Amino acid sequence: MFRLICAAVAILLLSSCGTETPTRQNDFTPLTSIQIVAAAPSIAVNTSTKLTVIGNFSGLFTRDVTSQAIWSSTAPAVANFVTPTSPSRVTGLAPGPAVLTATVGGQSATFNLMVTSATVSLITITPATPSVPLGQNVQFTATGTFSDGTTQDLTFDATWTSSDATVATVGDTATDEGLAKTLKAGTSTISAAFQTASNSTLMTVTAPVLQSIAVTPANPKALSASTEQFTATGTYSNGTSADITSQVIWSSSQTGIATIAATGKVTTLTQGATVISAALNGVTGNSNLKVTGGNLTGITVTPANPRLVLGTTVQLSANGFFSNGSSRDITGVVGWSVGSPTVGSVSTPGGGVALLTANAVTAAPTTLTATFNAVTGNINLTVAAPLLQSLAIFPASLDLAVGTTGRFTATATFSDGTQQDVTLNANWTASAAGIATVDNTGIVKGRVHGVASGSATVNAAYGGLSAPTAAMMTVRARTLTALTVTPSPATIAIGNPVAFTATAVYSDGTSQNVTEIATWTIDNLNIAAFADSTNQPGQVVGIDTSTAVLTASFGGKSQTVNITVH
Amino acid sequence: MKRIFLMMIALSLSLLICGPVRAQHIGPYVGANFGVNLLMDAKATDELGNFNMSYSPALQWSAVVGWDLKPNSSVGEGRVELEYTRRSNSLDSVEFVEGKVSGGGDLTADSLLLNCIGMIRDESSWSPYILIGLGAARLDASGLKVSGQPLSTDTTTVFAYQLGTGVDYALTDALSLDFGYRFFGTTAPTFTEPGGQRFKTDYFSHSVDVGLRVGF
Repeated sequence: MFRLICAAVAILLLSSCGTETPTRQNDFTPLTSIQIVAAAPSIAVNTSTKLTVIGNFSGLFTRDVTSQAIWSSTAPAVANFVTPTSPSRVTGLAPGPAVLTATVGGQSATFNLMVTSATVSLITITPATPSVPLGQNVQFTATGTFSDGTTQDLTFDATWTSSDATVATVGDTATDEGLAKTLKAGTSTISAAFQTASNSTLMTVTAPVLQSIAVTPANPKALSASTEQFTATGTYSNGTSADITSQVIWSSSQTGIATIAATGKVTTLTQGATVISAALNGVTGNSNLKVTGGNLTGITVTPANPRLVLGTTVQLSANGFFSNGSSRDITGVVGWSVGSPTVGSVSTPGGGVALLTANAVTAAPTTLTATFNAVTGNINLTVAAPLLQSLAIFPASLDLAVGTTGRFTATATFSDGTQQDVTLNANWTASAAGIATVDNTGIVKGRVHGVASGSATVNAAYGGLSAPTAAMMTVRARTLTALTVTPSPATIAIGNPVAFTATAVYSDGTSQNVTEIATWTIDNLNIAAFADSTNQPGQVVGIDTSTAVLTASFGGKSQTVNITVH
Repeated sequence: MKRIFLMMIALSLSLLICGPVRAQHIGPYVGANFGVNLLMDAKATDELGNFNMSYSPALQWSAVVGWDLKPNSSVGEGRVELEYTRRSNSLDSVEFVEGKVSGGGDLTADSLLLNCIGMIRDESSWSPYILIGLGAARLDASGLKVSGQPLSTDTTTVFAYQLGTGVDYALTDALSLDFGYRFFGTTAPTFTEPGGQRFKTDYFSHSVDVGLRVGF
């Protein structure tokens, strides 16, 4: 209640600080006088100049009031306002003097203009030989030098042309005199002509230049000891945009908090904030990265101290312990090393997966180490070469709905009495691919898919042996009636994971775990994110305090869970 | 103005060093407050854009009629009251795109609020409190001017509220002094300009006052 009152007071007090830079002109203070301003007191015949009217408001301030002026000339045959699209532009029609009058809000002012009989002898175009990136415009100016030695801006009076209108056009109307617009890379000669004089300049349109870089995700939050892929999108002078992630120079303002590779992949190290920048050709884009979840203090590796049979492969897992009391899987970011590299090797195929293969028999255990940001976790690896005695598949049977999956594992028994899970080393086969298929590559080896109603057997072969009894698979066509997700609702501490389970409920009363094949989404990945989408489906980890909504979808059904991260 | 502040400070200091314990008053009371009001700079907006209005500080006065709740009341320690307040601030300057120019005229707010006051009472004669009030205000733009030219003469009635804090000092069982701060605001009032268009502005103010309450 006290917080509520304080917040209300703060909002009210802050709301009172409400002045802004004014946008409204003062039309209350009376206009007391006006003044006509011109570039020069004389112009050549058949040329024009734009006049400006400056209003004085009670001596308090001045303002350009040209747009409100009503113009007249005492000698309309000498000088007059003949350009409807630019009412304040006066044109010299014949040599002689003229008195020009402007009236605004009851105030008047006069200007004595002399129209001379001078003729133009030279035209100069600026900017000269400009080089312009595609997409940008150039305003050219034509300055005339006259027979009496005076100069005058002839941009409005000259005739403008472009030699290659596919490269650039140049305006020749009252609203765009001398304005060149680029259309494609190349060159074009821009010419200005007035009376008997003319001149030209070569305009080069170059490739579009980079004008801005957008770094995405914009201002994300991420856990320490994790990775995040950033993308740089460049916007060019011609309005186009392109993915320039691989071209930019990536940097992190706080390398003790997060580092970034040349590919744009960020590795977060410790809790804090850093600015991720992408730079190219003097243009920079930024994204503020907030790293949560505490600092890594320890690593444990599983399986602990494994004894492997020569030639077999097992999946490794590294679990990190953090200063905020949380712990989570960090397999995807640790570096792996084996004390005797000939004994074992670790491969990281991606998706947060690490696989250890036993390559040589050890006389004594060798150390396998997981390292991240100078924190290590060790296990002892022993490799032996006993003889294979038998192979068995678990479970003995599976009953699946069409369109769902299940898992079989293969366990080998050796001559020294030991057993080892050889699921990843076995060769898996199914008897009827039209009814069920079995995955036989990567870490999903042994995963079966129910394809159509019927029965099939699944077997595994390893070391020249097959399981004496194949596993039975029964696939049934079932009607999905509901999808449930547990736990619901859920509360997660920052940095800690929660494993959600999606269960399909069928019309025949059966249910089946579909966590692995459900589609999982979170509405705000800055609050909660998936721990590892490949290896641990349904496992969510808290990123920052707030709430998020988790959605699981399967078979046309969806179920949401409200997540509170604290 | 300076004299009033000095008197308030002198009175406050003298009361701080004397603190007889009094029985708490229960029942109806009336009172009056007097203080200084600072109307905050306000943004005003019409169809031509926005401009800023600055006001001079002004005096304000209030009259209250209320009820002292009995101790350990089910609704808490404190009192409820109906408060009428009047404050009238001169328009000092108005800022447009071209800069600030002098203002003129007064903006007067007459408010009628129902205040709920929560108090902390103990054996002492001093009782700190917080206050929240809701009600309505009649805002009168009286001859508002810009550079001597008319800006608005108009009246509108708007929803009003205030938050406050302060301390009561019990002089006797039925007589109390009140030293308080108030933040007063309204929903945005709208006034008519000479040309017929209307501008909307803010109304927020801070005030400090001293009051005397008599219980029956």
